[in-house]
Amino acid sequence: MKAKRVRYIWIPLIIIMIVVPVGFYYVKWSESGAGAGLYSRLWKPEPIFSYWDPDNFYESVKTMTGVFKGKECVSCHAAVTPGIVNDWRKSRHSQAKKIVYCSDCHGHDHQNLHLPTPKICGGCHTTQHADFNDEKRFGFPSHALAMDRAQDAKHFVDKPKAEVTACLQCHSIATKCDSCHTRHQFSVAEARRPEACITCHSGPPHPDDETYFASKHGQIYLAEGDSWDWSKPLRKGNYKVPTCAYCHMNRGKHQVAEKSIWKFGLKQVNPLTSGNEVKREKWVKLCSDCHEPDWARQQLTKMDAERKRAWKKLYAAEGILKDLRSKGQLYPSAKQRPPYPTDSENSFFQMERIGFFEGQASAFYNVSPIERDYFNMWYFDNLGAYKGAAHGAAEFVRKGHAAMDSALENIRRNANVLRTLSEAEKKAGIKPEADAFWKQGEYTDYNRENN
Amino acid sequence: MNSSSPDGVKSSADYVKVQRNGAVIFVCTVLAWYLFSGAAFSADKKTFPEGKFNNDQCVQCHEKINASLVAEWRVSAHAKDEPVANCVACHGDSHSGAAVKARQDETCIACHGGQKTPVVHSYANSKHGLILKLEKKKWDWTQPLAQANYRTPGCAYCHMHAAGHNVSAMVRNQDLLQENKQEINAIKDARRQVCQDCHAPRYLSRLFDNGEKMLEIARMKVREARNLLLQARKQYTSEELKSAEKRYQEMQSVHLKNVYLGVAHQSPDYQWWYGQPALDGDLLRIKGDINELERIKNVNVMQKTQCVQTSK
Repeated sequence: MKAKRVRYIWIPLIIIMIVVPVGFYYVKWSESGAGAGLYSRLWKPEPIFSYWDPDNFYESVKTMTGVFKGKECVSCHAAVTPGIVNDWRKSRHSQAKKIVYCSDCHGHDHQNLHLPTPKICGGCHTTQHADFNDEKRFGFPSHALAMDRAQDAKHFVDKPKAEVTACLQCHSIATKCDSCHTRHQFSVAEARRPEACITCHSGPPHPDDETYFASKHGQIYLAEGDSWDWSKPLRKGNYKVPTCAYCHMNRGKHQVAEKSIWKFGLKQVNPLTSGNEVKREKWVKLCSDCHEPDWARQQLTKMDAERKRAWKKLYAAEGILKDLRSKGQLYPSAKQRPPYPTDSENSFFQMERIGFFEGQASAFYNVSPIERDYFNMWYFDNLGAYKGAAHGAAEFVRKGHAAMDSALENIRRNANVLRTLSEAEKKAGIKPEADAFWKQGEYTDYNRENN
Repeated sequence: MNSSSPDGVKSSADYVKVQRNGAVIFVCTVLAWYLFSGAAFSADKKTFPEGKFNNDQCVQCHEKINASLVAEWRVSAHAKDEPVANCVACHGDSHSGAAVKARQDETCIACHGGQKTPVVHSYANSKHGLILKLEKKKWDWTQPLAQANYRTPGCAYCHMHAAGHNVSAMVRNQDLLQENKQEINAIKDARRQVCQDCHAPRYLSRLFDNGEKMLEIARMKVREARNLLLQARKQYTSEELKSAEKRYQEMQSVHLKNVYLGVAHQSPDYQWWYGQPALDGDLLRIKGDINELERIKNVNVMQKTQCVQTSK
């Protein structure tokens, strides 16, 4: 009896020994395509990707031959591209005791140049690089994971790559330090100012620029910021009001994810878990540089309440959509839409994606109009309200919630039309076939063939 | 004053003598400086006449001094389109500070709709625009708009590079929906001249090519919608297609243009949030609108035939 039991232990062991290597092999295989990331076999990069994701795609220019010393780079490029040499001359790199030349970051061999990635900058700036990498353990949203997550997104894989180049420009925050410390001055003072962030932190899903500038903090910054000494570190007493970096990279710590509780407002979180309590205390401590700790706690509690209100509205809309889905009233249905590359993986179980965990982030194309209505409500109205609450811009909270109310109303109305129509069709005995134009058309065809 | 004229300091013995008297040398220096700057000032007066001028006067004189500049302005949209942006509009009506005034973005923005219009906002939120915002007060705006004299380009650095006065040289003047290869190549060349002050040639050509591709993809979305509407117009009244037509107009005049501005001014927001996904939304909603009309029509037809059948 005992011997028999022992023998059974081999079964799960053998299964594990097969499954684990196969799993590893599969992931490796899926990452071995022309692209990058989990779906690398499903897409090919555009030539410009070499500049946005140099680690994966950069190949050196071959137009010049020769191996050069730093001074030689400078003397030639002062004529070829004077702008970057002017910049470098103003940078600390050129004024340091041991001068940091072009070749120290780009290499000496002109046939084998490279773009400086965080790893290369991290060779000297070790603390900053370590902090930056440390973000990964907090998951996304974070700067360090921005490129990986972009390239693994369904819509990135699905759409023509020349179109989604737009994504990589901002998501290259993970692959280049010059997103904030612009080349070739790489100024610390510049990166401390809100303007360093807002090329990317702007627009409908993350109006960080508008909400911050509309807040009292931002208004004071706009009025007085130009006269402040930005060479000072971001710590208590140095600045009259906080800026983006003062709060999110306090004391120059290159770690924007360690305090994130509400995760951009993308999904509902329980803000009171023990982990989030730790983060909350970090915020309270930070705000206490100027404010009473209790006051700071109250503000954060207000945000919890705002998020709760927002999710009540969002779930109401999700409920309506899921009801339509369960009755087969979403039109066209997932099966009637053109199959995109990533859809081939779940072709056995095609389903409309509703809500964050089903892939709401990609539900802005190739969906029915009412699903797009919800996408706008979730991604634009909701996140606008969240940013308003987080940055102390009450008007944006009001506007965001008003927009969510009217979006919900609109979704209700459109859902009624869909219900009425499909009931009438049922009565009349019509089985609606999706129009050919859902699956065909100039862009739709091009998209299917060019990934 | 005559005794301390510079002539008196020629021999070394004299020099030692005068050196003892620091005050005399000081007076000498001041006098020399005064005479020199006075001469320079009068030369200045010769080149830049004082007083206020109207546009005709500017053109009359400058057509003789720098004819090519005026000729460039004449073929540009600034001279052709109403309201005309003439010399005075950008340079002011006097010579003092005329170039500095025209080089600064505020001058352009005053006419081009202010900070919130897409054409200005797409630039202002780009890396170029934000660096300019932070640093412009420290820059020496008397320098020519060329050779990377400015850390990042403002409006005029690109659109009036090296004092070129044809602002239309780098702008798509044709209908955005038409892909005009000749115009694109001309713009590409003009842009390359400017951008290579700072950027590497291969980066630029890849960036331009990608931009063209991105814009063409946006056009495909608009054309897909247009073809749908061409079919739909045969079946439905303009009243029924009102919302679809409105969306189609918006695709062309707002969202396609945003992609173009995003590509031209290197603004991710305009390429993406105000551009491509907005066009996706327009396209699927136009499809949805037409689809709904069709379903209503089918139901009505079926109900009528059923009514006829039951009444029989």
